[in-house]
Amino acid sequence: MISRAFLLLALGLYTAFAAGPFLWVATMSVRTTSEISLNHYAWPEKFHWEKFPQAWFNSNYSAYFENSALVVLSAVAVLTVVGAMAAHCLARYRFRANRLLYFILFSAIIFPPQITIIALFQILVQYKLYNSLLGLTLVYIAVQLPLTVYILESFFARIPSDLFDAARIDGYSEWQIFWKVSLPIALPALATTVILNTILLWNEFLYAVVLITDEAKRTLPLGIQRFMGDQLEDVGMIATGLMIAIVPVVLIYMFFSEKLIQGMTAGAVK
Amino acid sequence: MANVSLKSLSKRYPGSDALAVDAVSLEVEHGEFMVLLGPSGCGKSTTLRMVAGLESISSGELAIDGRCVNDIPAKDRDIAMVFQSYALYPHMNVFDNLAFGLRRRSVDASEIEKRVRSVASTLGLADLLRRKPHALSGGQRQRVALGRAIVRDPKVFLFDEPLSNLDAALRVGMRGELIKLHHRLGATMIYVTHDQVEAMTMGDRICIMNGGKAAQIGAPLEVYRNPADTFVASFLGSPPTNLIPARFDSEVLYVGEAALTFRRPSIQNPVFGIRPEDIRVEGASPHAHGEVLAVETLGAETLLRVRLAGVAGDVMVRGPRSVNAKVGERVPLAFDLEAVHLFDPQTQKRI
Repeated sequence: MISRAFLLLALGLYTAFAAGPFLWVATMSVRTTSEISLNHYAWPEKFHWEKFPQAWFNSNYSAYFENSALVVLSAVAVLTVVGAMAAHCLARYRFRANRLLYFILFSAIIFPPQITIIALFQILVQYKLYNSLLGLTLVYIAVQLPLTVYILESFFARIPSDLFDAARIDGYSEWQIFWKVSLPIALPALATTVILNTILLWNEFLYAVVLITDEAKRTLPLGIQRFMGDQLEDVGMIATGLMIAIVPVVLIYMFFSEKLIQGMTAGAVK
Repeated sequence: MANVSLKSLSKRYPGSDALAVDAVSLEVEHGEFMVLLGPSGCGKSTTLRMVAGLESISSGELAIDGRCVNDIPAKDRDIAMVFQSYALYPHMNVFDNLAFGLRRRSVDASEIEKRVRSVASTLGLADLLRRKPHALSGGQRQRVALGRAIVRDPKVFLFDEPLSNLDAALRVGMRGELIKLHHRLGATMIYVTHDQVEAMTMGDRICIMNGGKAAQIGAPLEVYRNPADTFVASFLGSPPTNLIPARFDSEVLYVGEAALTFRRPSIQNPVFGIRPEDIRVEGASPHAHGEVLAVETLGAETLLRVRLAGVAGDVMVRGPRSVNAKVGERVPLAFDLEAVHLFDPQTQKRI
């Protein structure tokens, strides 16, 4: 009984800790900036729902959202497919320089973005990809690929090789085995990387702020930043923008969370 | 159905000097049940995997139905294999596991349905078709793995220690079912095991492997009764053949202090091999006396561990349950000289 009560208390505290800021932003998203500056933590007296359409249509959030969705969805799609193929290959096949390739790929993780960003900027300018969504997408893929391969490789390596032998004997080619055996079995791990990459890239700010300058090409984090002026900040609009930005992440998490849990506990039971 | 022919098949793994499989030659006839038997690391599984096409062949020739298949990938060899781990696809239910191989071969859906259902009902899986492998017991998984092979109707069946993961009672049952299956299908089967009981009871012939080489190939009783070398003699049988260093003095063979009249071969100091069941505890005309070190009463029979005067190792004797010996007692022993084999101590071969 006591341990159960303790557990409930701990979970309750943790929930308050995690959900508190979210609720705070949620209340601010339906209050105006002047209301907020009077009392930061008050419950909304009047729900200003009109702030959402206002943000979406007048403050260009629809365009930011579209840009973010385009960049993140394509980057995550490419990351998942290419990452899975690379991981399958590195985990399954013995070939010369297998570990060397793995090491080179993985060693990219140790560089903080501040080190590479100037070089990246120059490369993108040379290839005429600077200030373009395609360029940003490619950078996102390159930045997240090592971690994706790392997570997936360790999962693929745990799939018993007898399964692949069985599929070979059942008459399948290596390519078909990847799609029909490897990928479906690795679904929990794929879900993990999809969520991880989506959340990281959806919130990504540094690369976007350096590589995108056009107003029309801004992604959501950049759009929200526009409401932070030098002298004053439109806190109310920032909160509304944040709420708009959070929705897809929550949806993705809800959709994949069951798979995510499977992925985290995979191997725990036989 | 097909015959499988291995002509001095060898396998060398990259980065290794030793041959994992060393010039194994073997002819498996149409419809024959051939068992590859040996301790771990003897190359039996590697040999099987070369037949399956899962390992490349370093040298030698492999033919299925007279056609050389050295360079033909596993998927085009028309063989089926049952793995020790069962290797069921965890994301598919039993029906899909069974149908997976047929779908690749573009058999049409109604035919697949028919064949899967018929195989499932013979194996008692009819009620489990919608289950995923993780919801099956070990024995049921084993049946699915077997069914996946049968449903394909392949030229050759390969088994890689398929019963090792089952508990003892289930293993005996599945052994019987596999024998029945072989009779019913009349298919060519190659079966790898380290369990000599499986080899003796299931095989039409046994190929005993040691250190990558085929030590002896023959019918189970033939191999048991006439081992080609000391390895076969000591690997088959439980407890194994007693191997005792002996020496000839003119026409008399001395085993420890026991003097036996024996046809003398060219070798002066052969190894004297006798199975525990070929030594009787008998007072009438004993060849030797032994001191009993341990008595194992197994119910149906009694095993004695005895020390013979002048012999370094212990000697195992298998007697009927009526044997009534006590530890420390001296018992008279008679050898069945007809069943004795002499081995060359250098080459280990039977003389």
